[in-house]
Amino acid sequence: MATQLNLASCGIDFNEFGQIFNQSLNQCLSSRLNDMLKGKKIIFSGDEKSLIPVDGWGIRSDPYCTTTITTIQPIQDNTIVSAVDSSSIQIGETEEGSLYSVKSGIAIAISGKALMHFKIGPVLFYLSNETIRHSELDHRLAKLVLLDSDSAKRLIRVRVERAIQMELSKQFKKSIILIDGSLKSSVFEDKNQSIKNVVENCSLCKNSIIGISKNTRFKILDRFSNPLTKIREPAYMDVELIIKSLIRNSIGNNLLVRLGNNNSPILRVDVVTINGNKDEALGKLLGNDSIAAGYPETLRLAHHISTFTHTEVSCLRGYVLSNYDVTEIASEDIRRTLLGSITV
Amino acid sequence: MKILSKNGNELVMLAMISDTAIKGDYLLIEDEKSKRKMIVQIYDEEYLSSQSLIEDIVKDEVVIASSTESLHDPLNIGSLSRMLRDARLFRAKIRAAIDLSDKLSSDVTWLPSRVYSKVRRLKISELGLFLGRRGVFPIPIGKAGGDNEDFEIYAEDLDGKLNIITGKKESGKSHLSKLLVKTLVQHGAFVIIFDLNNEYGGLAWNQDGSPSSIQDQIMVLEPGNGLKFSLDYCGKAAISSMLKNALDMPAASLREFFRIWDSLENKQTLGIGSLGNAINTCNINELVRDALISRFHVIQSSRLFLDKCNDDEELRFEKVISKKCKGTAMIVNMGKVTPIVRKMIVELVLSKLVDLLEKLIIPPIFLFAEEAHLYIRDTYWEDIITRMRHFGIYTTFITNQPDVIGDGIYRQVDNIFLFNFINETDLDKISKVSLADNDTIRSIVRTLPQRHCLSIGKVVRDLPIVVKIAATEVLTLGETKKFFR
Repeated sequence: MATQLNLASCGIDFNEFGQIFNQSLNQCLSSRLNDMLKGKKIIFSGDEKSLIPVDGWGIRSDPYCTTTITTIQPIQDNTIVSAVDSSSIQIGETEEGSLYSVKSGIAIAISGKALMHFKIGPVLFYLSNETIRHSELDHRLAKLVLLDSDSAKRLIRVRVERAIQMELSKQFKKSIILIDGSLKSSVFEDKNQSIKNVVENCSLCKNSIIGISKNTRFKILDRFSNPLTKIREPAYMDVELIIKSLIRNSIGNNLLVRLGNNNSPILRVDVVTINGNKDEALGKLLGNDSIAAGYPETLRLAHHISTFTHTEVSCLRGYVLSNYDVTEIASEDIRRTLLGSITV
Repeated sequence: MKILSKNGNELVMLAMISDTAIKGDYLLIEDEKSKRKMIVQIYDEEYLSSQSLIEDIVKDEVVIASSTESLHDPLNIGSLSRMLRDARLFRAKIRAAIDLSDKLSSDVTWLPSRVYSKVRRLKISELGLFLGRRGVFPIPIGKAGGDNEDFEIYAEDLDGKLNIITGKKESGKSHLSKLLVKTLVQHGAFVIIFDLNNEYGGLAWNQDGSPSSIQDQIMVLEPGNGLKFSLDYCGKAAISSMLKNALDMPAASLREFFRIWDSLENKQTLGIGSLGNAINTCNINELVRDALISRFHVIQSSRLFLDKCNDDEELRFEKVISKKCKGTAMIVNMGKVTPIVRKMIVELVLSKLVDLLEKLIIPPIFLFAEEAHLYIRDTYWEDIITRMRHFGIYTTFITNQPDVIGDGIYRQVDNIFLFNFINETDLDKISKVSLADNDTIRSIVRTLPQRHCLSIGKVVRDLPIVVKIAATEVLTLGETKKFFR
């Protein structure tokens, strides 16, 4: 092969390619790994998943830590805890638009026992120029959701969730409403059903609203949370200064919380209470919801009932095919076609 | 129903909960493109199962167990999801095809279209038409198919054939055999039953105590009571085979016995009394005399023989047959006799019948033998299935031990009525030697309810059919006697 093509005669030197590669990166990034990595703790990333060290990063990693840690005492007073979660998926595509489905779940607990859960959906939404034209969506937002399916899914999910949260905040009195994720305004919200409206309703009805994030994109919080890892009981630390300096639209008190004992994870929690007593709100949460593996059971249940199962996706496809006079056409995975697949 | 895949001579079909077919049912696959049809039989069913489906079911169960569920499902996807979870896979054996001229064909080398094929359950009556199952003497044995259609076999398919009725205890074997006997007699056939539990006598009576329609045609024979022969009628051959095979008489003693027999016959004094005298007084070796005396006492105590020819008391098969020309069932009750006498009866009856059939004195007869291994010697089995068949004794064996019947017999068998078996050894045996494939036998027979049987062989034109045996009008005796009622 080499003799037939005779690459040498073309004057190509692949060693030069290697040097160019190194030089181009070294101008901006250091490749002196020996010096830089020596003595460092490491966790390897995989599958785009967000991983955290089980026992924190250790003393060396939190030089800024001066915040006080407050332990949380469970308060058992028959407060209703309701949790909301939802998920949206893209079911299909047509020439003009895309078909999405959304599902929500509400789980309610009291006195540490699950009371009931409510499954809503799946419901179908079709986003196309035609459907968007008749909606009240902002022109630029409409363009975005038509072009980007991730944004479309987020829009559907946020709007459905806010509608449910609005309703819960009106229906319950002196309860706790749990939300999956942080309490912050979103561009996808309807202005009449924004998180601010939800919080306002909660204030009127004396409800507390707590947003719990399983992970955060602010890496500094991981390092900042180290003192909490050493506490063996439920506790929290205030990180409002850090959060408010990083994002503008966050609502309520921003905390890092450990809801369980020993090795339970540190969660980012945003709390809004009627009297600003976050200790009481978190205490009531611990006293009226069961906490398994450091996470509220209602929120876990809401998550499970709101996620799409394989069966549901198959059924939705079948439903669309049999009810809307559509014809399924052959499709292919372009990456797979072009790159091939080598199963290892 | 839709075709999913094919493996060997087996098709896997996808069925939803609304597709009401069960194991044993026949399906007709009509390929609308090629206009050809295929007949398949469901032999097994299972859930459509995938890892994700199982995970979904488990997840749902955990969620439902954890708290009370309320639903708002405007598209009713939940019901579709439940339907999918209940979807089943039918495994079906390809049995036959129907060609373009609507004739049954064995050409199953083609593959029906998965897209253009329509699958529907085939009625047993339709199947019967395709198979050309018809006859003059029907035997309605029960119901078959998903629509509970009346099902009948034809006496012609039992005529000249070897049949086996087998299944575990109390699965309904005797029930079917009584049904067959009753209908054969109604059709004018002559049937002899070796009744081990004295239960066939009930054929003469209905459940309500009234006489059955065949009461006049039923003869219950017991040693000393109807079952009595004269030595003269039995003949030297029958007596000799009885002495040799049932009473294990050595050859030397047998020779002396024949000498005595011949001398009495010449003097025209052949009878039980004179035979006893002759054995005691004739000039023979003392050891031989002892041997003869001991056998003579067994013969005498069996109450099977008359001292002299007596037309009123003596059983003569040809006489019975000529008198009851509309058919009869001669039930030989052997429930209360000793194993030796049982063997003597069978030797005598079979030898005499062969003799009469050979001389064309009587027409062919049907023989029903319950648990025949208990009274028929090993070497006799093959004789029954080969030689006697040619003379005109058409046997039906009824047993709950399929392993006691030799492979040689199974190879000759024409019809098998298989009732429920759970025991692996029995299933192994029966699936190896049966006329149907192993998968069908193992899967269907294992789950057959009581009084359901899988009919295989000539009676169903080699397409196995599950039949629910009809309830009988006649009195069913032979139930196990119980202390606690």
